[in-house]
Amino acid sequence: MPTETRARRLGALLRALWPLLAVLALWELAGQMRWVAGGALPAPSQILHRYWLDRADYPPHIRATLIASGVGFVIGNAVAVAAGLLFVLAPVTGRIARGLNVAIFALPPIAIAPILALTLDGMTPRIVLAALGVYFVTMQATVTGLQQFDSRAGDLVRAYGGGKAAVMRFVQIRGAIPAILSGFRVAAPNAVLGAILAEFGGGGRWGLGTYLLGSLGRGDPSRLWGIGLTATAIAGLSYALFAVLSARMLGRTRAVTLNPAAPPSEPRESVNLPVMAASILLPFALWWGVLWALQVPRMIGKTPWDVIDYLFLSAQSAQAQQRLLGALLQTLPITLIGMAAGLGFAFALAVSSRLTPGFTRAFLPVALVTQTMPLVALTPLLVLILGRGTAVTLWITVSVTFFPAYVMIAQGLAQVPRAALELPRAYGATAWRELRLVAIPAAAPWALAAVRLTAPRALLGVMIAEWLATGRGLGNLLNQSRGYMDFSMIWAVALVSVLLSVAFYQLALGFERRVLRRMGGG
Amino acid sequence: MSAPAGITLDQLSKTFRGRGKAVEALRDVSLDCPLGSFTALIGPSGCGKSTVLRTALGLESLDSGTVRMADMGPEKATRAGLTGVAFQDAALLPWRTVAQNVALPLEVLGRPLGPEAGRIRELIDLVGLKGRENALPGELSGGMRQRVTIARSLVTEPRILFLDEPFGALDQILRRQMNIELQRIWAETGVTTLLVTHGIDEAVFLADRVAVMHAAPGRIVALIDVPFGRPRGPELFSDDRFHHLCDQIAGVLHGGEHAD
Repeated sequence: MPTETRARRLGALLRALWPLLAVLALWELAGQMRWVAGGALPAPSQILHRYWLDRADYPPHIRATLIASGVGFVIGNAVAVAAGLLFVLAPVTGRIARGLNVAIFALPPIAIAPILALTLDGMTPRIVLAALGVYFVTMQATVTGLQQFDSRAGDLVRAYGGGKAAVMRFVQIRGAIPAILSGFRVAAPNAVLGAILAEFGGGGRWGLGTYLLGSLGRGDPSRLWGIGLTATAIAGLSYALFAVLSARMLGRTRAVTLNPAAPPSEPRESVNLPVMAASILLPFALWWGVLWALQVPRMIGKTPWDVIDYLFLSAQSAQAQQRLLGALLQTLPITLIGMAAGLGFAFALAVSSRLTPGFTRAFLPVALVTQTMPLVALTPLLVLILGRGTAVTLWITVSVTFFPAYVMIAQGLAQVPRAALELPRAYGATAWRELRLVAIPAAAPWALAAVRLTAPRALLGVMIAEWLATGRGLGNLLNQSRGYMDFSMIWAVALVSVLLSVAFYQLALGFERRVLRRMGGG
Repeated sequence: MSAPAGITLDQLSKTFRGRGKAVEALRDVSLDCPLGSFTALIGPSGCGKSTVLRTALGLESLDSGTVRMADMGPEKATRAGLTGVAFQDAALLPWRTVAQNVALPLEVLGRPLGPEAGRIRELIDLVGLKGRENALPGELSGGMRQRVTIARSLVTEPRILFLDEPFGALDQILRRQMNIELQRIWAETGVTTLLVTHGIDEAVFLADRVAVMHAAPGRIVALIDVPFGRPRGPELFSDDRFHHLCDQIAGVLHGGEHAD
């Protein structure tokens, strides 16, 4: 009967929504009673009220952010998919571009936002930062998706005389679409964050980042929350769009029978010195080339050589080294701790989501909010709540690391083939035992990849916290140098933080390979 | 299309190397499958029988020896559309419908699909999947998926058919049905067939000759003729001569290298 099914559907909807409603009610109460740090956390109704008062201000800011992140998203993804195709068809190009890829992935947007603002104008810095934010995720997803095709289907195409191109056309490209879409999904919030970070660091009249910057001084938490939630909604909706699309595609694409395919690790290449040298030199060559092509004044645009000169050869080099080293020693330990906490949290959530799907459905929106909420907006509020100490840095680092790690691990768990999952169930295994026997080992390669992918994000989180809250470490040094127009130091901090990030990445990759070898993988 | 063709395998040798150890998969394997014949290649798991088939299709390179089909090597023969193949595992593309999966070899060979639409439908009828043309592989049972691969292996009108345990995943009843179907298709098309299997009864029921392989190194130890006339009906499965021949082949499989 239609009325009965409608009633049942309504009931299901209510059951799904009640945790959210409960959180909202608690939040309203906390806001009205000013429980949290004397009103740093306004009630939802107060935020809505502020929205209404500010309603005329929003459209141009939203439009600017949407355009910058949208254009950056499209450009970054187009380049990423094309690059992924190229790297799979001609693996040597992938090896040569490896240094560049890792550098793009690892560069903390906050470190290069000031540089982009100095060297480019108009919307360009925002678009570039948004594109850089999505490039690596999508490129990696494309490569993984293309490499992970069903080898049996590949054999069939080759058995009819099909070459590499035919396997690519008939099997790999279509098979990679879910992976690429899930890359888009993770990349979408990155584009919004990139655009807002650039707005924050680089002037301009419109954009949510600009609006936020202008509102910081007014000390009205309701407006800050309103802006933050708007940015969050944009990022969250873009994520949800690709989540739905990729869920649709995955059902049709998963192989029906189990094919023991290799996990998505970077295969170990035999050492080839010219290729390695080219891979290391390419990012520096590009850095040089862009400065030259854009005719950036020597005063502002420092070449790699200028930075080496500043740090090692010039008169101020001793002092510069000392400042950098001191900052580095403040940044490093907290980064490692934050990373460990974020990963642990992500793994626990991914596992519990397999055990209690309902809990995850309730929690995921909250997690998404903490992720897509621009940290630059959140930090001033967090400072009111948590103070200006280690707690703020840790909180921010965890929330930055956690989300991509969760997505990776959950994806690993979701890709366990039906047959493999049903085997322990057939022997009466409990959900927990089933998870321990099948799902966790199956997800291990993904969890390790998550370690590799979150290491640089952890550094980003620490630097944002340092810049905006704690006044310590590399983030603070960058902010200070920006204030003093100390261009050499800005470039030096950017270089050091990218190198540090790359080092983290390499360490994690080495560890991943060792574990995979022990597990009989790669 | 192409001229009818047999298969000549001459002194195939292949060693797999990796992780510090070498496995001699094939040593001097020679086999001649005359035009229009049905040959079964039988042996224990890992004896290299699938490797024979993969080298004949050019999926695996050889250390020494040659494969000839209608005076062509594997690359040329496969590209000319001379061969059809059905693998052990269905290996269907999950996003393509039954009809689209059947059509895949034609697309790989770059042949136009339009004129073949009728044949594709006939082949799907032939393997008993009428009405499921637009189903996705995920919606089919294991037996149905396997029958799609049989249809797919015939879509190019091959002169040579390679079957790698095509019914390995099916139950006994369905397997016998498919065996009878396959015999009918073979008789109708006259396609030279090489069947890799580990089912003795399947080999004896279908083949003119059974080549028995031993492992480590992979080699052919006996070539046994199957004397039964055609067409062979299901009653053959309960014939005493049938059982006697099966026992004889089992004897060769389990160690004795002599066939009478």
